[in-house]
Amino acid sequence: MSNLAALPIIIPLISGILLIFLHNRMTVVRILAKVLTLGNLAVVAYIAYYIYQNGTITLEAGGWQAPYGIVLVADMLSIILVLTTNLVAVAAVFYAPSSLSNKQEHFYFYTFYFLLITGVSGAFLTGDIFNLFVFYEVMLMASYALIVLGGGRIQLRESIKYVLINLFSSVLFVTTVAFLYSVVGTVNMAQLAERVGEVEQKGILTTIAILFFFVFAIKAALFPLYYWLPNSYVAPNPVVSALFGALLTKVGIYSILRVFTLIFIYDPNLQQFFIWIAGLTMLFGVIGALSTNNIKLVIAYNIIPAVGFMILGIGLFNQTAISGTVYYLVHDMIIKAALFLLVGAVAYLAGTTDLRKIKGFMHHYPVLGWLFLLATFVLAGIPPFSGFIGKLLLLQAGLASDRVIIVIIGLITSFLILLSLMRIFIQCFWGEKDNDAYTVDKQAARKFTLPVILLLFFSVVLGIGAEFFYPIAESIGKYLMNPEIYIDSVLKE
Amino acid sequence: MIFTVFFPLIIAIVIPFLNRFKKRIHTGVFALVVPLGIFLYFIRFIGEDFQPVSQQVPWIPSLNIMLDFYLDGLSLLFVLLISGIGALVTLYSIYYLHKNEKLGHFYVYLLMFMSAMLGVVLSDNVFVLYSFWELTSISSFLLIGYWNHRERSRYGALKSLLVTVFGGLSMFAGLILLSIITETTSIQEMVLQKEMLLNNDYFPLIMTFLLLGAFTKSAQFPFHIWLPDAMEAPTPVSAYLHSATMVKAGIFLVARFSPILSGSEWFFIVVSIVGIITLCWGSYMAVRQTDLKAILAFSTISQLGMIMAMLGFGTEVAVFAAAFHILNHATFKGSLFMVAGIVDHETGSRDIRKLGGLFTFLPITATLALFGTFSMAGVPLPFLNGFYSKEMFFDSALNLTEGSLTLTTFLRNVIPYLAVFGSIFTFVYSMYLFFGTFTGKGDIGSLPKRPHEAPVGMLVPPAILVVGIILIGLFPNMVNQPFLAHAAEAISGMKLEEKIAFWHGITPPFRMSLTVVGIGTLLFVFRNKWKGIYHAIPGPLSLNRVYDWLLEKTESYSSRMTKGYMNGSISRYVALILTTILLVTFTFMGFTEGFVMDTSNLAEVSTLEISIAIVMIVAAFGTIFSNNNIAAIIILGVVGYGISTLFVIYRAPDLALTQLIVETVTVALFLLCFYHLPKLRKNVDSKRTKIINSAIAISFGTLMTMVAISSHSSKWFEPISEYFIETSEELAGGDNVVNVILVDMRGLDTLFEITVLGIAALGIYGLIRLRNKKEENE
Amino acid sequence: MEIIMSILAGTLFGTGIYNLLQKQLLRIIIGTVLISNGAHLFILTMGELKRGQPPILREGVTDYVDPLPQALILTSIVISFGVTSLLLVLAYRASKENQTDNMDKMRGNEYE
Repeated sequence: MSNLAALPIIIPLISGILLIFLHNRMTVVRILAKVLTLGNLAVVAYIAYYIYQNGTITLEAGGWQAPYGIVLVADMLSIILVLTTNLVAVAAVFYAPSSLSNKQEHFYFYTFYFLLITGVSGAFLTGDIFNLFVFYEVMLMASYALIVLGGGRIQLRESIKYVLINLFSSVLFVTTVAFLYSVVGTVNMAQLAERVGEVEQKGILTTIAILFFFVFAIKAALFPLYYWLPNSYVAPNPVVSALFGALLTKVGIYSILRVFTLIFIYDPNLQQFFIWIAGLTMLFGVIGALSTNNIKLVIAYNIIPAVGFMILGIGLFNQTAISGTVYYLVHDMIIKAALFLLVGAVAYLAGTTDLRKIKGFMHHYPVLGWLFLLATFVLAGIPPFSGFIGKLLLLQAGLASDRVIIVIIGLITSFLILLSLMRIFIQCFWGEKDNDAYTVDKQAARKFTLPVILLLFFSVVLGIGAEFFYPIAESIGKYLMNPEIYIDSVLKE
Repeated sequence: MIFTVFFPLIIAIVIPFLNRFKKRIHTGVFALVVPLGIFLYFIRFIGEDFQPVSQQVPWIPSLNIMLDFYLDGLSLLFVLLISGIGALVTLYSIYYLHKNEKLGHFYVYLLMFMSAMLGVVLSDNVFVLYSFWELTSISSFLLIGYWNHRERSRYGALKSLLVTVFGGLSMFAGLILLSIITETTSIQEMVLQKEMLLNNDYFPLIMTFLLLGAFTKSAQFPFHIWLPDAMEAPTPVSAYLHSATMVKAGIFLVARFSPILSGSEWFFIVVSIVGIITLCWGSYMAVRQTDLKAILAFSTISQLGMIMAMLGFGTEVAVFAAAFHILNHATFKGSLFMVAGIVDHETGSRDIRKLGGLFTFLPITATLALFGTFSMAGVPLPFLNGFYSKEMFFDSALNLTEGSLTLTTFLRNVIPYLAVFGSIFTFVYSMYLFFGTFTGKGDIGSLPKRPHEAPVGMLVPPAILVVGIILIGLFPNMVNQPFLAHAAEAISGMKLEEKIAFWHGITPPFRMSLTVVGIGTLLFVFRNKWKGIYHAIPGPLSLNRVYDWLLEKTESYSSRMTKGYMNGSISRYVALILTTILLVTFTFMGFTEGFVMDTSNLAEVSTLEISIAIVMIVAAFGTIFSNNNIAAIIILGVVGYGISTLFVIYRAPDLALTQLIVETVTVALFLLCFYHLPKLRKNVDSKRTKIINSAIAISFGTLMTMVAISSHSSKWFEPISEYFIETSEELAGGDNVVNVILVDMRGLDTLFEITVLGIAALGIYGLIRLRNKKEENE
Repeated sequence: MEIIMSILAGTLFGTGIYNLLQKQLLRIIIGTVLISNGAHLFILTMGELKRGQPPILREGVTDYVDPLPQALILTSIVISFGVTSLLLVLAYRASKENQTDNMDKMRGNEYE
C-alpha cells in the first residue's frame, strides 16, 4: 500500500502532461481537467482515510532503502495539507473557465495548474531535503509560467520581480543543503533529525538552520522578506492569485514547520526569534492591508498577518501551539483561496479594483455580498468559524507561556484584519444602487459564486464541526512534538 | 432550554421563505411567535423557590467548549427582558415597518440577535459566551446598517462593530486567561476558585480585559461614542438592542463575573468611577441634543452608567438596586423609544426644535410618554418604578464600603455628590424630552406630515410597558422575592433580604431626591440661560473626533508607512532582504560560535587550480565593470568554462560535460537577448548606493564563504554516499555512480528536474506565442 | 584547496549579488548566473575535493570522490538552466512591453 504515497504527485503530473496534447480541444480539456481534479481529490481523500486508520505511509522511491534513496513520507500532516490543496484546486478549476481568457486556457493553463499541484503536493510529501528543493522548483517553475500567462505590461513587470526573488532563494536553498550535507553527511530528513540531535545542533548547525529559515521565510512571506509578495500576487488572473495565495506561502510555512519541529529543535533562541518575527509580521502585514484602496491588494496583504499567526505557533513550540498552527494552516489555505476568488469576481464585475469606485453591489449581487461578509468573519477569527479555533489555540498557547505582549499584538491584528475587510464590505457592497458604473451580469456572478460556496462551506464546517477536526490537529501536534516517531517510521521498519 | 436559544436562529433560517407571503401577512407576525413563546416558557420559572437549572450539550468537548447553559436568577432576569421586550418590539415593528421594506432581512437579523443575546446570558462556558457575544455585535452591525444607503447608517454600523468587537477581543483574552488559570471553561467552576484567582499575578490583567469588554458593549465612557450613532437603526431596533438588551450585555458580564472580580478593591474603584462618570457625562450631554433619539441614546448611556456604578459599589443594597434598575430601565426606556418612534412615524420629524404641542394631536402617546419620562426622572410618586431604584441608588451611594486605599476614601466622599449631579441632569433631560415634544407651541405646519394619533398596534406595546411601570411602582414587592432577589443573589453570591418601600421617612436619600427635583426644575425652566456652557464643555472637543481621527490616521499612517518601503524597486527589496539575512545570520553565528576553521582536512593546493581561480575572480569582477556586451559575454563564458575546468580537475566528468553544454546554450541565449535588449550601460548609481551595494555584496560573499569553511571543518558524520559506491554495481548494475544516482537512486529528482525543464519550455513558448498573436491582431 | 574554492565561490556570490542590486535587467540576469555558478561550486567543495578517483567504478580502485554532490549539482545545473532561459525571455518581453530595461522604471503603482 505504500505506493499510495506517490499518487498525489503522479496523478497531477500525468494529468498535466496529458493535457498538453489536447490543447487544441479546449472543451475536452476543461471537462477532463475537472474530472481529473475531482478524481485526484477522491484519491487523496482515500489516502487520508487510510493514513488515519493505519498510520504514516513511507514510500522508498525505486526501492532504495532510506536514508539512501528518496523517501516520500505521507503522515497525517502532509496528507491533510495535500487534501486541502486539492480542495482549493477543485474550487480553482471550476472558477477558471469563467475568469480566464480563451487564449490563456489555450496556452497550457491547465498543464501549469496540474504541475503546480504536483510541486506543492510533492513538497508536502517528500522526506528528503534535496528532493524538497526539486519540488520547490517544480512548483516555482509552474508558478512562473502561470504568473506570466498571457500577461501584459504590468503582469510581466511584476513577474520579473517575483522570479528574481524566488530564484535567489532557490539558489540559497540548494547551497544551504550542500552545507548541511557537508556537516551531517545526509539529505534524508529523518536521518538529518537523528544526526543533528546526536550533536545537539552545535557549532555551525544553528547558522545553517537560520539560512534554511530565510529560504523558507522568503517563500512564506514573513517579515521582513515579503516585499515581493503583494504586488506580484495581484497582477495575475484571480484564479492564479487564489492558487498562489492559498498554496505557495503555505508551502513555505509547512517547510518551516517541518524542519523546525523535526531537525533544528535544539536552540531555544531560534524559537524566541520566531516569536519576534511573528509579531512584526502580523503588524506590518495588517498595516499593509489598511494602506491601500485596491481590493485585491487588501487580500494579498492579508496573507502576511496570517502567516505571522502560524509562525507564532512554531515559535511557542508546544503541543497546543503546534496544533493551532496546523489548524490555522488548513483554515487559511481555504479562506485565502475563497477571498481571492471573491474579490476577483468583484473586480471582474465592477471593472475596477479601486474600492472607492465601487458601491451598492449588494443590490445586484446579494449572494456575493453575503459570502464576502461570511469570509470576512471567517478570516477575522469570529466564532464559530474555522479561524476562531486556530486563533483560540494559538492565543491559549501564548498566554499559557506567559507571552502576553504577543497575544495582545495578535488580538490587535485580528481587529485590524476585520477593519481592513469591513472597509471593502461597507464601501463596495453597501450604499446606494449604482447603475451607471458597471453593467450587471448576474450570469457571470453565479458562475463565480459556486466555487466560493464550496470553500466557505468547509470553513464553516471546520469551525462548527471542530470536534471532528481538532483531534486530528491535536494528534498532529503531539506527533510533531515527538520527532522520534517520524524518524522511526522512516528509518526503522 | 437549549432549544430556546437556537429557536430564533432556526426560525431565522425559515424567514426568507415565509417572506414570500408578505403581501398578505406581514413577516413580523411569524417572527412574533418566537419571543412570545420563549417568554411564556421562562416566565414559569419565576417564584420564591426558584432553583438554578443547567443543561449541557457537547459541542467541541476536546477543546472544553460545551454548550453549557445555566439559568440562575441573573440569567432569568435577562432572558425575560430579552423575550418580553423582544415580543413587544416585534409587535411594534409590524406597524412601524412598511411592507415595502426588506422585511426578510430585518427579521432575520432581529432573530439572529435574539439567539445571540439569549446565548450570552445563558452560557456557562466562557468560549460559548464569547461566540454569542460576537454574534450580538454582528447582528447589531447589520441592524444599524439596515438602511445602508444612508451614509450615517454605514458610519454608525462600522463604529458600533469596531468598538464592540475591540472590546470583545479584549474580553476574549481575559476569558482565555481565566480558563488557563482555573483549568476549566465553566464560569460556575471559576467562581469556586475565586480566592486563588484573586491572588494570581494575572488578576489585574484579567480584570482589565474583562472590563474593557463590558465597558465597550455597555457604552461606558469613553467608549459610549458608538451608541448615539447606532440610532441610525430603525426605531424598533433602537428600542430593543440599544436600550433594553444588547447594551446591557456589558452590565451582565460585570454582574456575572462580579463574584470573582469584586473581591478586589480596584474593581470598586474602576467600575464605580467609570459608571459615575458615564452617568454624569451621559445625562449632561443628553440635554444638549435636539434629536429625540439622540436624547434617548445619551440618556441610555447615563442610565447604564448608573447601573454599572451600582455594580461597582457592590454592597447589598447596590446590587439589589442594580438588578431592580435593569428591569425598570427596560420598561421606561423601551416605552420612550417606542414613543419617539411614533412621533417620528406620525410627524415625519424627530427634531425637538420643530416639535412641540403634540399633546393635542397625540394624546395617548403623550400620556404614555408622561409616565415614561417621569419614571426616568425619578420623580417621587408612588406609582413610578424609576423613583424606587433611584432612591436605592442614592442610598447605596451614601453607604459605600470602606477600603484600605486612599482612593477609596476619596471616592466615598465624592460619589454621593456626583450621583446627585448626574440625577439632576437626568431630571432635566426627562422634562426637556416630555415638555419639549408635547407641550408648548410647536411649529406644526413645518412638519413633513400632519400629525395624528398612531395606530393601535403601535400604541399597545408601549402601553404594556407603561402598565409595567405603574404596576411595579404600586406593588414593588411583587417582583422582589420571586424574581429580583434571585438575580441579586446570583450577582453578589449571597442571599439578600431587601424590602422595597415608598416611604422611609425624611431620610438622606429622600432629601437627595428632593434636591434633584428642586434644582432640576430650576435648571429646566431657565435652560436657555445656561446653555452657553456647552460651548465651553465639551466645546469643539469630542470623543467622536478622536474616533474619526484614529480611524483616519490608521489608514493614512498605514498608507504612508507601507508606501515608504514598498516602493516597487526590486533592487531595494533585494537589498533589504539581504541585509536582514546578513544581520540575523551573523548574529546567530556569533552567539552560537558557528565559525570554526579546521585546516587538517584539506586537499593540497595546486598552481593550476589557483590560476583558474584567479582568472575566474577577475572575470567575476569584470562583469561589474564591463560596459560592453561582447566583453560581458566573454567574461561570463570565462566563469562558466572555468567551472567546467574545475569540474574536470575535481573528478566530475559528467558535470563538466553538462556544464559545457549548458554554458554554451546559455551564452547563445544571452546573445539573442543582447540583440534585442538595450546595450549595457555604465552604472549611474550614486556613490552612496554603490557603497551600500558593495558592502552588502561583500558581506554576503563573506558570509557564504565562512559558512562553507565552517561546514567543511565540521564533518562529523560519514556521508551516506559510501553506500552508493558500494551498491551501485551490485544493485543497479551501473558503474558510473553519478549516473546511477541520477537515474535510479534519486530518480525522482531527475524526473521532476525534467518536468521543470518541460514547464520552462512551455512557459517560454507561451510567452513568445501569446504576444505574437496579439501583435497580429493589432 | 577547499578554502580557496570557498573563497572563489563566495566571490562569485558577492559579485553576483552586486549585479543583482543593479537597475539594468541584463546585469541583474548576469548576477543570477554568477550566483548559480557560485552555488554549484559550493556544492562541489562540500563533497571534499580530490579525495579519490572519479566515481566511475573500476577494478582495483577503492577511493572515489563523493558522488552525491555531483548528482545534486547536475540536477541543480539543469534546473537553473531552465530558470535562466525563462528569465531571459521574460526579461526581453517585459522590457519590450514596458519600454525600458531599467527596473527602477518598472515600479508601478497600485491602480493600473
